[in-house]
Amino acid sequence: METFVQLVVNGLGKGAVFALLALGFVIIFKATEVVNFAHGSLVLFGGYLVVTLRDSIGWAGAAIVGVVGAGLLALVVERLLLSRSKLADPFSLALLTIGVDVIVTEEIVRRLGVSLPFIGDAWDAKPIQVGGITLFRTHLVALVVATVLITLFFLAFRYSNWGIAMRAQAENKEAAALVGIRSGRVTATAWLVAGLLAGVAVLFIATQDFSGAGLSRGTHSIALAAFPAAILGGLDSTAGAVAGGITVGLVDALATHYVSFAFAKSAVFLVMLVVLVVRPSGLFGTRETTRV
Amino acid sequence: MKRILALACASALALAACGTKGGGSEETGEGAGGVQAGVGVTDSDITLGVMTDQTGPFKNLSTGITHGNELWVKDVNASGGVCGRDVKLEIVDHGYKADTAKTLYPQIEPKVAGFVQVVGSPIMAALSSDLESDEATVTPASWSSELLGNPYVMVVGTTYDVEMIDGLSYLQEQGKIKDGDTVGHIYIDGEYGANGLRGSRYYAEQHNLNLREVKITSSDTDLTNIVTGFKGAGVKAILLTTTPTQTGSVAAANEALGLNVPILGNNPTFDPLLHDSPAAGALDKLYVVASSVPFSADIPKMKEVAGKYEKAGYSEPPNAGVPYGYAVAEVWGAVLRKACENKDLTRAGIHKALQETTSADTGDLVAKLDFSQPGAPATRQVYVAQPDASVPGGMKYVKPLFESPEAKEYQAPHQGG
Repeated sequence: METFVQLVVNGLGKGAVFALLALGFVIIFKATEVVNFAHGSLVLFGGYLVVTLRDSIGWAGAAIVGVVGAGLLALVVERLLLSRSKLADPFSLALLTIGVDVIVTEEIVRRLGVSLPFIGDAWDAKPIQVGGITLFRTHLVALVVATVLITLFFLAFRYSNWGIAMRAQAENKEAAALVGIRSGRVTATAWLVAGLLAGVAVLFIATQDFSGAGLSRGTHSIALAAFPAAILGGLDSTAGAVAGGITVGLVDALATHYVSFAFAKSAVFLVMLVVLVVRPSGLFGTRETTRV
Repeated sequence: MKRILALACASALALAACGTKGGGSEETGEGAGGVQAGVGVTDSDITLGVMTDQTGPFKNLSTGITHGNELWVKDVNASGGVCGRDVKLEIVDHGYKADTAKTLYPQIEPKVAGFVQVVGSPIMAALSSDLESDEATVTPASWSSELLGNPYVMVVGTTYDVEMIDGLSYLQEQGKIKDGDTVGHIYIDGEYGANGLRGSRYYAEQHNLNLREVKITSSDTDLTNIVTGFKGAGVKAILLTTTPTQTGSVAAANEALGLNVPILGNNPTFDPLLHDSPAAGALDKLYVVASSVPFSADIPKMKEVAGKYEKAGYSEPPNAGVPYGYAVAEVWGAVLRKACENKDLTRAGIHKALQETTSADTGDLVAKLDFSQPGAPATRQVYVAQPDASVPGGMKYVKPLFESPEAKEYQAPHQGG
């Protein structure tokens, strides 16, 4: 029983970070119908800024610069590349993001050289014991930060002008434009927010507690591992991103112990496939209706 | 949604690079000093190949080995080279990827007399038949006893299976495990992990241990959930045939979860950079077994190499790869000198010289080696070391070279073959 509880605790902690990552995918998809495959490189970029700046300006300052930097990179990608091809198919734009991803990732991996820096200085490897259960501090902080950010996002989405504009655009792009919603601004903000979330997520990913590895190509792979979380939750559903993230964390932890470590990796995708068979738009995704 | 899924699937596909082998026919001719020269040998130079990992999971150890190789090359060239020729290294990075190594091999093979370093079991497995058909002598930076089936392979040191057997024997001698205990073994898929596992299985059989085996891949990094399972199963020790990053994850989880059992690792499981990681405080339970000395070893030859390493001004912190890389190159020096005496620096000549070199003096950087038994590890002696951040190389001896009775009796896969 203790093992089961510990595994659930491990899974929930990781799930919170996967939810943050999945939310990044969802926000951009909702606003633009583009799947942003460059999300992993935004995560790496934020982490790289922290690594390069923390010795000169301290960890906290570097962490803030990292988060903002990742957001700005996302904004630049959107403004320079995607906004110039407004008429392009979302499918082609997704391919474009793969190009951005490869370039940014390879350059950062090259710059990192042989170092594998851990960047969760404030919370990493400082576990808290409660009864016989170990709570990893990184997971706890991630859970709190994810809850706060996701709640803020939900509120903004529901009540702010930007949220309403984004929902309108997601519903019907032409109609939204006709009523005067500035599509460019909505899209740019979505990219900025997704980038900020990537910058926050990396502070939890490149830690001993979460990934067991410092900032590296592996960090990028983990960011992309949140993709099934976004898909199984429903690519256009923010609630789905949270549910998907938690599901991925739990499935991974429980399958590792109760089946096998090797199976755990495919288990996440297996769950994704089962969900898609039953609900083709994901757990909370909008069903596409087509008139015939 | 369908298109998105299709795109996701498409992005997961990667084109496999397919290497085709180069000519491989050896051009020979009589060169300077009446010595027959072969591939990679000119009147002025002998070029040796280094296929290393500068960007993958073993990049730190590999960089240490390469620096060890380079230090020896510098020394030997300063004293006039070998056979009147300077020794040169041709270095390529395969990033611990067999497909990359397979593509690089045909480019580097026609330039070198042999390979002083090929890092990684998966890479050796991919190149073994090429190396054999090209008659290229190779010292792999991989210590699997499965490699000993190839006559052109010279493993400097003992093998992973023997390391595990000796290490388990040490834990038992120290009273940390006893017959009938449950022990967990985390190992990387492929030859490295399989060979370590071969050793732990052998020892478990001898001592009725209940072995819980968990297979992982070299890119997995978070092993917390595995250690959580081990805790539930009541393991008394954790065995590792993994990368250093994975060692860090296990050590951190071992402490965080309050399991606190000894961890026994094969020689590539430790990297001094772990002392700078968040797992640093959890390394006191780690024991590493190897047959080449740690960088901080108190022997004259090691002190000499350490001095040279410092002088060379390398930016990377030193590790156990440095003395190993130096020792291997020194063995190569002995082989090349022998080939020179035989007036034959062709690959066949080098291989013949290797077989005639029954012991090479490495100044005790590596346990005494005996290559006279085909298929058997050249030594079964190991030392046990523990991490210590205060010494250069980050590791200190806790037990000097020894051979356990179980290791002595053990039959390696190609032994006597």
